[in-house]
Amino acid sequence: MKERKGHMENILELHNLTKSYPKSDFTLDQISFSLPYGSILGFVGENGAGKTTTINCILNTAAKDGGTVKLFGEEMGDGDTDIREKIGVVYDGDNFPGFWTAKQLSKVMARLYQNWDEPLFRDYLERFQLPSKQKIMHYSRGMTMKLAIAAALSHHPELLILDEATSGLDPVMRDDMLDVFLEFVQEENHAILLSSHITSDLEKVADYITFIHNGRLILTAAKDELIYQYAVLRCKESQFQALDKEDILAYRKRDTQIDVLVADGKAAQKKYKDVVADHTSVDEIMLLLVKGERV
Amino acid sequence: MRRLLRNNFYVTLADAKAFTVVAVLLGVFVVAMDNAVPSLLISYLMLVMIGFPFSSAASIRKESATKWEKYKLTAPVKRMDIVKSFFVSQLLWLAVGITFAGMGVALSVALHGYPFDKDTDIFMLFVTGIGVSLFVGAVFFPMYFLGGEERSTVIMIVSLLGGIGIFMGLTTLVNKVYPENMTARQIVMSGIFMVACSAAAFAVSCPLTVWVFKKKEY
Repeated sequence: MKERKGHMENILELHNLTKSYPKSDFTLDQISFSLPYGSILGFVGENGAGKTTTINCILNTAAKDGGTVKLFGEEMGDGDTDIREKIGVVYDGDNFPGFWTAKQLSKVMARLYQNWDEPLFRDYLERFQLPSKQKIMHYSRGMTMKLAIAAALSHHPELLILDEATSGLDPVMRDDMLDVFLEFVQEENHAILLSSHITSDLEKVADYITFIHNGRLILTAAKDELIYQYAVLRCKESQFQALDKEDILAYRKRDTQIDVLVADGKAAQKKYKDVVADHTSVDEIMLLLVKGERV
Repeated sequence: MRRLLRNNFYVTLADAKAFTVVAVLLGVFVVAMDNAVPSLLISYLMLVMIGFPFSSAASIRKESATKWEKYKLTAPVKRMDIVKSFFVSQLLWLAVGITFAGMGVALSVALHGYPFDKDTDIFMLFVTGIGVSLFVGAVFFPMYFLGGEERSTVIMIVSLLGGIGIFMGLTTLVNKVYPENMTARQIVMSGIFMVACSAAAFAVSCPLTVWVFKKKEY
């Protein structure tokens, strides 16, 4: 993590963010995490977990009930247009009116953003093979997502907020976009909040992973820590009973085997010599945290 | 606020193009016809003066069909400016409507002569077109942001009929206040009064819409 702008090291900070929707009985419950400069934070959760609600509260498209959200060290109100100049956003699905062309979109964006870079936008259109004079409604889903990413990048943002931005793309396109994101965070004053349920994408690019489930944050950690330190113990019933409760983050019974998520695989391997400890993936961690049980 | 006018223009553009074609074709027909019975000309004036701004207002619905309405809130613009831009766009399209109406009347009068009984009749037709149009906008915008896109069809109908109704109510009031045979000065004054009332309603509707829109969540 880098120290910048005096004391500020995080481009985005959420502290005890809460938001309730009484009609749907959904509550975003005291979400806290931070996104350091120069990094990508993968925001993971199943559909309906609260990822989009969190992003809505960050971007002020929904009013939070409590807590604080700091962008670039400041709470962003409706009048803080200078902060929004520095944020690029991509939503899942149709971001722009379908009856526009990319060229018209560029003209609109040039009026909205002071730093809109028309040549850069044209470069992205060329790079992503997007016809500028074709109506957006005739683009494929992958093309509309690429257009949204191109538009988000073309006003030189410092923070990218991507809500399921890769979900409609095929693996090749996704890989291309992930390369674009990695390029973006090469600048040390840039960062990305990447909400996704495609955990393989996050394993490729994210520096930090934050898991959310039923409106609650269940884990936030560095990705390398999750991949290289966390482990899943494959236990029989008797072995499971012998485990210390404080070692167990979550467990899931599968036929005769019980999978147990632990935070320190090496320590667990030393402590429980007769138990197999496997390296794990973000996908498996998510499944264990979401579908597993806690002690 | 001015930064959003191009956005509003492109959102309205397809409807405006179609409406312009209709206005031009109908205008040619109206101008070509004898205006001894001026009902055709009156209908044309109302159509263009109410139609252009109304189609502009109704085009907001198209933003809701995608995430653009929400996306705009993440851009460096204030909610207040988004609302103001809709009101300004409405006025600009009203100006377009007035221009078409003015050209239609001028050509018809030039070709076929003056079709009305009084000199003030043309003035009152413009007062009616402008007044109804402003009342329609004043009703539509706050209701749209309050009711949302899913109720937009009924809101459009209510605002159009409501705008006409309010203006007719205002006309009834003026007719009750003044004697039966109004002088030209009284007619002009009442016309100015009615336009002032509709402009005031339009102006009050703007902060009201801002207030509603500021509470809207996406």
